[in-house]
Amino acid sequence: MSYGFRDRLRRTDDRWRGGAVLAAVLVVAPFILGGFQTSLLTETLIFVLFATAFNLLYGYTGLLSFGHAMFIAVSGYTVAKTVGVLAPLLGFGDIFGGVSPLATWALAIVMGVIVATIVAVFIGFLSVRLTEIYFALITLAFSMAIFVVFLQDTIGAILAGFGIGDGNWSNGSDGLSFIMGDVNLFGWEWRLVDITNPLAYYFLALIVVAVGMYLLWRIVRSPFGATCQAIRENPERAEALGINVSFHQWMTFILSGAFSGLAGALLIPLATNVNPESHAHWTSSAEPVIMTVIGGPYSFLGPALGALTYEYLRWIIRQFPLLEEYWQFSFGILLLIVVMYFDNGVAGGLFRLRDWLGEARTHYRRDGVGGVVSFLRATIVSLLRWAVNAVVGWVRAQVRRVVNVMRRESDLPG
Amino acid sequence: MAPQGQDASGESRTGVTGSLDRRGFLAAAGAGGATALAGCGGILGGNGEEEPIRIGGIYLLSGLAEQLGAGSAAAAEVAVDVINEEGGINGRDVEIEVRDHGDDPQGQIQSLVQEFGADVMIGLTSSGVTLNSGPTIESLGVPFTLTDIGTPYITEHDTDTYGDYYEEDGLAAGLPNLFRSNSMTAHMTYGIAQYTVDNYSDGLRIANAGPDYAYGQQCWEYYQAYLDGLGFDYEVVASEFPSLGASDMTPNISNIMANDPDVVFTSFWANDTVTFTSQGVEQGLFEEIEDAFDTIGADPVNFNTLGDTMPEGMHYSGWYWPGAYGTDADQNFIDTYSSAYEDDDEILAYPTFTGGSTWGAIHMYKQAIEAAGGTEPEGIIGEMEGLTFEDDPRGTITLDETSHQSDASVIIGESSHDADVPYEGAGQVNIEEYTIDRQEALDLLEESGLPPGM
Repeated sequence: MSYGFRDRLRRTDDRWRGGAVLAAVLVVAPFILGGFQTSLLTETLIFVLFATAFNLLYGYTGLLSFGHAMFIAVSGYTVAKTVGVLAPLLGFGDIFGGVSPLATWALAIVMGVIVATIVAVFIGFLSVRLTEIYFALITLAFSMAIFVVFLQDTIGAILAGFGIGDGNWSNGSDGLSFIMGDVNLFGWEWRLVDITNPLAYYFLALIVVAVGMYLLWRIVRSPFGATCQAIRENPERAEALGINVSFHQWMTFILSGAFSGLAGALLIPLATNVNPESHAHWTSSAEPVIMTVIGGPYSFLGPALGALTYEYLRWIIRQFPLLEEYWQFSFGILLLIVVMYFDNGVAGGLFRLRDWLGEARTHYRRDGVGGVVSFLRATIVSLLRWAVNAVVGWVRAQVRRVVNVMRRESDLPG
Repeated sequence: MAPQGQDASGESRTGVTGSLDRRGFLAAAGAGGATALAGCGGILGGNGEEEPIRIGGIYLLSGLAEQLGAGSAAAAEVAVDVINEEGGINGRDVEIEVRDHGDDPQGQIQSLVQEFGADVMIGLTSSGVTLNSGPTIESLGVPFTLTDIGTPYITEHDTDTYGDYYEEDGLAAGLPNLFRSNSMTAHMTYGIAQYTVDNYSDGLRIANAGPDYAYGQQCWEYYQAYLDGLGFDYEVVASEFPSLGASDMTPNISNIMANDPDVVFTSFWANDTVTFTSQGVEQGLFEEIEDAFDTIGADPVNFNTLGDTMPEGMHYSGWYWPGAYGTDADQNFIDTYSSAYEDDDEILAYPTFTGGSTWGAIHMYKQAIEAAGGTEPEGIIGEMEGLTFEDDPRGTITLDETSHQSDASVIIGESSHDADVPYEGAGQVNIEEYTIDRQEALDLLEESGLPPGM
């Protein structure tokens, strides 16, 4: 038996067990939660996919994209046009009858992913030639260019130039709104996206997100994923090992864009509209960044935890008008705490908690409840000591700086 | 039941999307509303007869339009206080919760109905958000009254003529459970166009300036369409669209001045009105033109902010101006509002230009709920269609049975520092009211293809 096989087997068992519990919770949850909470959970699941797709590029490959909302936007506009124009043009209503909204939805998802992938191919090709802040800036620039294309309806103007349409394609700042319609399956009638009874769309989104997350998991666990991490750690060394770094980064960018497009294709029917301000602006691109940083970019589930934290913190903040008024401030503080004091976001915090609980269990086995209490006390004392040292250190540094400045000024001639 | 893909007449529908017709909606509204309430019933303990009647409000309470939204929220809250002091609605207390649009207005609307348990809703501040929220508002099923919204599309129900906004890139976005208590763009621009025709001669050189988004563009389209419909001969010498919330409009103002207009038509609101006016004064714009119009610029908050800067003799307009109607109801509203906020640091103790429509909306709900005998959405909607409210500050107001649009007038006044206002700044004098009905609007807008929305 190879070294560590038992451990790996146990970890695999734990993973499957955890996955089964999570699946059971997600299947049961909508039957317990009300309409609003189920809609919120649906949105959260979609953001889990979006943030994880983003992290394929950031956490795994070391490229910080600040323009990932562009994939949500192009996919969203494609979905809206598929629902409003393409499916009726193809006669989906006549071909599929009562299930035409479902067929349209499936087509919209495929089209959304295809268009997002095509966009990723071109933008990725140009962007991966740069790294670090320059990569962040070029993705930001591309995403804002796409924002302007939709805001000023450049596509409509171009089409009108060729004599197609009346110049209105993206409907400017108002964007495109649509309703997915009612499904009639063997006499059972229900609205595909219904916020008063969101079960149907919840389960559809859950299935697609689960498949998407599984595929992403396979990707990061494959040799391709290992190469991504090698590039993240040391691109020069990876290049020296014979890896075509730019090509690999390009492929990662395309995959990340495709899965982000998938998230967009799920999100827009739920929102029932797509518009530049909400879905293409740079502030929307900040969301997966914040989710990933909060959750932890160096573990697969980090962005998922970040998305969960982000969405539910936002929900809590919305309950309080004062907090809502300054919600960016509240989030800024949270982000500061996570960046400064957590090794790897919420995921890192949870791993540390798991390790601490393991140690506490050891103390319990050895010394009973008293052992756990003294271990807890020691932990609190060490945390307080660390906090006090941090504050004292900071104050000393400031005082030293002021003294140095005063000393320099007193040394000046005259 | 008609099979999917066909309408009731048996004709094939090409679209796969489907909005409900009115009858279908009313049948579903009860079920949808009941489902929504049942969904949160476990949390809230239901909203039975002993529970207060809940009103949800959603306005922009942060950023560019904070003061506008805050003024509407203030009017709604004071209206609720008055109703509660007078015994509530059907003996039940009224509770109101007003939230910010925030970054997820549809989520806020859903939360107010499904979590707060709102029986009826008021809002919103942005036309774009309103149009985008249509499917959400329709799905939730509870009555929703707009108090601040300009776009005529949202109360246009004639999908045969104008196309369905949510299905076929049309302009008719009317919803079965949505009403509007304020007059709107198709009223405002008519008033300004009529004023232009009444006061200026043919050959007028007109410049346009408005925020660079749908509202600014729509106002300009409607104004020109009405001028054309009225047979007025004019020349457009410049058209400027600075971005919404722009801090520097001097290049736009310079361009306007370079083209030597006689009058300037603008559609700025809130801070944009202040920016355009103050920078226009600095550049000498108002000394070179005969007149300036602003669709919804006549707001005490704007004039208070501008102070001495506001030039006199300009004709800004609005949906409501305190004291313009000579009604007891208006005086009562002004007195109540002023006394409620006299010690408030953030709210000007004088109603804003959305005050009348918001105060009216709350009282219309009271009248409709009392007539319906409860808070079932179907009953309230039925009562609101064609409802006449006699004690509105703006006079007697009726909600059209078909479009759900109120027949409220628009006011155009002359800016003056001699006006009787309780703040340091200009007010409105020589105020004129303008009204228009659907048939007149249809006739005037016929060539443009724009919907009247009334």
